[in-house]
Order: sequence, then structure tokens, then C-alpha cells
Amino acid sequence: MEPTNLAELSGNIATVGYGLAAIGPGIGIGIVVGKTIESIARQPELSGKLQVTMWLGIAFTEALALIGLATYFIFTA
Amino acid sequence: MTNPAHETSVAGTGNSSTPVLVKALAWGALFAVTLGVVGAVIGAIVVGPVGVWSALIGAAMAAVFLGITVGSILLANRFHVAAFFPIVLGAWLLKFILFIVLALVLKDQPWINTMVLFLCLVIGVIGSLVIDVVVVMKTRMPYASDVMLPTGYDESQDQNHEA
Repeated sequence: MEPTNLAELSGNIATVGYGLAAIGPGIGIGIVVGKTIESIARQPELSGKLQVTMWLGIAFTEALALIGLATYFIFTA
Repeated sequence: MTNPAHETSVAGTGNSSTPVLVKALAWGALFAVTLGVVGAVIGAIVVGPVGVWSALIGAAMAAVFLGITVGSILLANRFHVAAFFPIVLGAWLLKFILFIVLALVLKDQPWINTMVLFLCLVIGVIGSLVIDVVVVMKTRMPYASDVMLPTGYDESQDQNHEA
């Protein structure tokens, strides 16, 4: 009796990389933006300061996403 | 009494975050140009003419992709607050689609050295973050934005005022 393959993975496993690179930043941006909405709802006059803080938060989070994506494309060559 | 016709915006222009964002955009652009030049020189020395293009594209990608966030906030500030998050997050989504398309197109080009491009992109992203933080820390920013004060109040037009 021959052994049967119940699951087989073919192709490049690196394609999973985009998914992994998107999960973390996706959650991060969601939290940053959601908390900013909450804060602006509480104190609309502070929106300027909150926006700048939010922008820094987004910048740091998206840096991870950009590097993650770039890594995937460069190291699968 | 508060009459909307007599109210003026403090400091003239809308949201207090605007000057910080404009300043960050300007310094980010300057940094990208510097990185492009330095990267192109180093790329030319290490891998030849191919390195020049890779370095320039890497620096441009870092500048554009981090600049889109700032630009989208500046754009969104001109509209009603309900449009703020769709514009900012929509720009974020578009940016990543653009990035994936660009990466797929550039990946197998013979005139691109992926390692030089990657290094320039990473240095550009991290450098831009440092610049953003420094700009935010160095810029004085009022706590309140969009504040309306009653000014130019003319008592003679107040009909309830006792003569």
C-alpha cells in the first residue's frame, strides 16, 4: 500500500509573506486610527495635536509593512 | 451673545496640524534628494550604472510612500471631518496596491539591482521616520485647533443693548 499525500504545498512559500506583512500593520493602523477617532470625539479642539500623533503612529506602523513587502519581493528573486 | 457672523478663526488657517505636516513634507523631500544622490554615488561605485537607477528609484519610493500619508492628511483637512478617515486610509490602501504593482514590475528588470534598491528603500523609510519625529518635537504647536473666537463685535448693532 502506497502512502498517500493528504496535503501538498507546491510553489513559493514566500507568497505567504505578504499576508504576514499585512496582518501586523493592519491591526496597528486600525488601533491607531480607532483611538484617534475616539480622542477627537472626546476633545474636538485637540484634533490638530491628535492628527500629528496619529500620523507618527501610522508612519511607524507602515514602515514595518513597507520593509516587510520589500523583503518579500527582494529575497524571492 | 454669539453670532456666527462675528466669529473669526484663530491663527487664520484651519487645523493647527497643517504647519507641522507641511514642514515634515519639505524636510522629507530634502532628505530623499540627499539620499538619492548619496545612494547613486555609492551604487555607481559598487555595482556600476545599474546601481544609480536602483538607488534613485529606492529613494523616490521611500519619499513618495511616506509622503502620501502626510499629503492625504493635509488634503483631508480641507474637507468635512467625516471625509478625514476615508481619505487617509484610502490613500494608505492605494499606496500599498501601488507598491505591490511597482515591486512586481521592477523585480525582474535587468537595469535594477534589487539589493541596492532594497537598502535605499529601507534607509529612506527609517530616515524619514527620524525626520518626522524631529520635526514634530521641534515644532511649536498650539493645543487648540479650529478655535472660533467672537471678535469684531459691534455694540451698536446689538438691538438688545440699552442706549
